[in-house]
Amino acid sequence: MSRRVRLWLLAVGGGGLATLFVAAALDLPAFGGDRHPYGDRAVHASLARHTANVIASVNFDQRAFDTLGEMTILFAAVIGCVILLRQTRDEHRDRPAPEKVARPVRRHALLVLPVALLTGLYVIAHGQLSPGGGFQGGVVAATSLHLLYLGADYRALERVRPVGLYETGDAIATSAYVVTGLAGLIGGTAFLANTVLPYGTFNTLSSGGTVPLLNAAVGMEVACAVVVLLARFLDQAVEIEEGNGK
Amino acid sequence: MADAVIVVALLLVAVSATAAVAVRDPVRQALVLSVLGVVLAVLFTVLQAPDVALSQLAVGSALTPLLLLLAVHKVKRRGRKEGRHR
Amino acid sequence: MNGWILAAAVTLGGGVGATVWGVATGPLRRRAVAQNLCTAFACPALLLLSQGYDRPSYVDLALVLALLGPVGTLVFARLLADELAEDPPSAWGLTYAAAAVGAVVVPALCVAVGPSRAMAKLLVVGVLLIGGNVVASRALSGGFPEVRRG
Repeated sequence: MSRRVRLWLLAVGGGGLATLFVAAALDLPAFGGDRHPYGDRAVHASLARHTANVIASVNFDQRAFDTLGEMTILFAAVIGCVILLRQTRDEHRDRPAPEKVARPVRRHALLVLPVALLTGLYVIAHGQLSPGGGFQGGVVAATSLHLLYLGADYRALERVRPVGLYETGDAIATSAYVVTGLAGLIGGTAFLANTVLPYGTFNTLSSGGTVPLLNAAVGMEVACAVVVLLARFLDQAVEIEEGNGK
Repeated sequence: MADAVIVVALLLVAVSATAAVAVRDPVRQALVLSVLGVVLAVLFTVLQAPDVALSQLAVGSALTPLLLLLAVHKVKRRGRKEGRHR
Repeated sequence: MNGWILAAAVTLGGGVGATVWGVATGPLRRRAVAQNLCTAFACPALLLLSQGYDRPSYVDLALVLALLGPVGTLVFARLLADELAEDPPSAWGLTYAAAAVGAVVVPALCVAVGPSRAMAKLLVVGVLLIGGNVVASRALSGGFPEVRRG
């Protein structure tokens, strides 16, 4: 296919897409109006299943299959990074010496680490009640662990972070999501259907059926994935050097 | 008048995003991207989308700058080593 | 539109607007300080919005920002230690001014909320915000004296 034909094809396709976009934009409701047909139905379904956070209900109950896709996207992205950033044969590891950090910074980092970890777990656990959920809380928890690198140095972080354990945790959490979905299938309804657990009391921690379980699975998956991702980046930036060693 | 806050947030996002594109050096760009992340989170809050705002805060405040700066650090180290060998 | 949302709009327009200008122009020293102060101004704005919209669950946003904002500044302080050491930023006046904004907003909100678990949460956010702001400023102006390899 010559260059001119390619450009003509691009122009035709682009023109068609632009026409459809303009037609759709002219038909949109005004900004800030109060006509939300999909929103009304989603809120109604969420309240029927005693889930206070409608976003969590949409993510983990009404469209749980899409969230499974998003989780596997993160999983695949981390696998890709691990493969790209692995230590190759013409590189070697050069352990850095311990670094000196000002005392107020170190004290602050070590004080804030448990608070941030707890906040991450709190955000995961309250996903079905208040803004938050598995993804947000998982990232907060994983970032809090790296305060050990920022407040001390890389060797301190490596001691509390055996990477193999986190890689296994990532895989286990992804499987847990799928298994919870299969429970719906075995229970006689559909994959990822929210009918296997009682809906519980509205606005308490035990409400929403399978939503808290899927929240926990996604939280663990995201936290482990982020830790593994940062581990590869940190290894390449701080430890791995070119050449076959001195 | 509640729209005033929405207008302020939108203006801040527009200015930060333009600044993020206009700044060319990766290190300075990482600083601007960090501020852009916070301003985006405020915009999402003002438009009543707190879950999205929380995601933006979690990812954009510490994770994205760390990834960017580690990549820049690695490239600079390799450049310095090659310079020395030459 | 009530007073809380107006105060939030003022904090955003004035405080965060100034940090957006500061991070986009000037030497590296000014940009790092501006990035630090962005958290210190945005967090009280989020608290004010939470009170203005009457949604106590928005305080979680301010909590996460108060925790992770200083972590972001520590990332820059550590990985740019060489470049910052040549020209150390020291903007203690601005830092204390930003801390004062937090120190005014948090008690005002505590009074509005009344003694309850929500007030305890606000106090925790206030402590984390001011403490984190001060420590992050300390880290920027020479907290990593001998970091070489990162």
